[in-house]
Amino acid sequence: MFGIDDPWILAGYALAVGFTLACIIYGWWKRNEMEED
Amino acid sequence: MVDTTVFWIFTALYVAMTLFLGYLGYKRTKASEDFMLAGRHIHPWIIGLSYGATFISTSAIVGFGGISALYGMGLIWLAMLNISVGVLLAFVVFGKRTRQLGKRLGAVTFPDLMGKRFSSHFMQYTSAIIVLIAMPLYAAAVLIGGSRFVEATLGVDFNAALIAFAVITALYVTFGGLKAVMYTDAMQAAIMLVGMVVLLFLTFALLGGPTTAFTNLSNLSPAIPESLASKGMVSWTAMPTFGSEIWLTVVTTIIMGVGIGVLAQPQLVVRFMTAKDNKALNRAIPIGGLFILLTTGVVYTVGPLTNVYFMDTLGKISIDAAGNNNVDNIMPLFINSAMPDLFVVVFMLVLLAAAMSTLSAIFHAMGTTAGYDLWSHVKRRRKIEGYSKPSLSANKAGTFVMIVVSVGLAYLMPGSIIARATAMFMGLCACAFLPAFVHGLFSKSPSALAAKLSLGLGGATWFFWTFFVHIKESSILGLSKFLTGHDAILGMPWQVVDPMAIALPVSILALVVGWAYDVMWSKNEVITNGRTAE
Repeated sequence: MFGIDDPWILAGYALAVGFTLACIIYGWWKRNEMEED
Repeated sequence: MVDTTVFWIFTALYVAMTLFLGYLGYKRTKASEDFMLAGRHIHPWIIGLSYGATFISTSAIVGFGGISALYGMGLIWLAMLNISVGVLLAFVVFGKRTRQLGKRLGAVTFPDLMGKRFSSHFMQYTSAIIVLIAMPLYAAAVLIGGSRFVEATLGVDFNAALIAFAVITALYVTFGGLKAVMYTDAMQAAIMLVGMVVLLFLTFALLGGPTTAFTNLSNLSPAIPESLASKGMVSWTAMPTFGSEIWLTVVTTIIMGVGIGVLAQPQLVVRFMTAKDNKALNRAIPIGGLFILLTTGVVYTVGPLTNVYFMDTLGKISIDAAGNNNVDNIMPLFINSAMPDLFVVVFMLVLLAAAMSTLSAIFHAMGTTAGYDLWSHVKRRRKIEGYSKPSLSANKAGTFVMIVVSVGLAYLMPGSIIARATAMFMGLCACAFLPAFVHGLFSKSPSALAAKLSLGLGGATWFFWTFFVHIKESSILGLSKFLTGHDAILGMPWQVVDPMAIALPVSILALVVGWAYDVMWSKNEVITNGRTAE
């Protein structure tokens, strides 16, 4: 893909983008979270 | 070569914006809590940008960019860890507990949080002393890195650059406190974001688009020097051979050095305590994650691609083009020779912003530790027992003193020690603070004995291993040679084992033993409510 064949490199990129999306989704999902204590 | 007048105009504009935002912070700093924690009421976006800008220093861009040019795209795993551990885990798991505990206990600095959580003056003072020993070295390293760069691009004398750099940062940190630091951080982060995104697009445009660029990079494999190929490197677009020397270097640097070291750094922990509530921290997470992806992700992509450019233009790979085998020269050389003139100026501002945002955070963390954790307490304890209230003037004085100490160190310390300072600081933070910090955050009745043992033994083991075994440091620190006649007191392979690999397990083990002792045999120092006698 894009001239990169090594699955470890592709996995690294996929996880980097994936965790960034997780940051965005979590931040949006919990944007009005109430305090626990 | 870019006209230096253009450089100067942009630099002057940048300095003017920095000082204006610093002045804004100064005007809004009325009390010591404003100075130390920005009033615990900072906008979520500023928290996210400030955290990211503090996290990413010049060494992340120039240093690790150069390393990725040497070893290839495997460093993308470091970007992945920076996002998953450095932002997501740090904010969601550590950040919220830190903010809640800090607010409940009225803690205003990292050593203060440790002291109050474990109801222990020992924890507060020892943490403060470690911060005040290790942080000035880290500050000196960032200061020198920024000044070298200003010297190279603006043609300014190194000493003048260092003084100007320190004075501008000192002005807004000393007078404006954390509000000034975080306002300027946000502006500096914006410059870094714009610069890095443009860098990615310009690099792809230069090399014929992503697919062509990466295909050409893959085809460069035969150009890998024998010295790297024999140690496990196979391609710039592939991970090194599993278990090989380069694989170990990449993976241990990634996982040990940067992945873990970031979780217990006082200047980052204090960012969590500036949020008004959990909502604010949650809203900062997307900004922090995106910032790290667009800075580190871009650097570790562009770094390896510089090989294609230098091979096309000079017939050499990046490390050979850089001269002196110095990876730190690769990114600046690539920018200066491959990019349009205007972008060279923009990239200079990116590096200036990266250095200044990290430096200001270190100055602030050191200053509040000196001005509150040590100075105020020592002064007050002579008259009355117990915890004192922070004083604005003591904090400003503490900040000023620590900045002077850092500048002095930058002049006095040999370059070989400064080069190791960042790794040393992160390693020491992880070994001395991390296990006790985690225990304090998540245990319902944290054990002061466990925390003291962990901090004491973890820190002592780190110092011992750094001064007497790990050859990279022990050979330049010279204490081992002075006392034993040898650079290191143990042979291979111990000499290349990172201090963190030894001291962090010791620190964790000490915590577990201390905790078990407390739970099973003694209830004296397990804290349930308030302060125990000490």
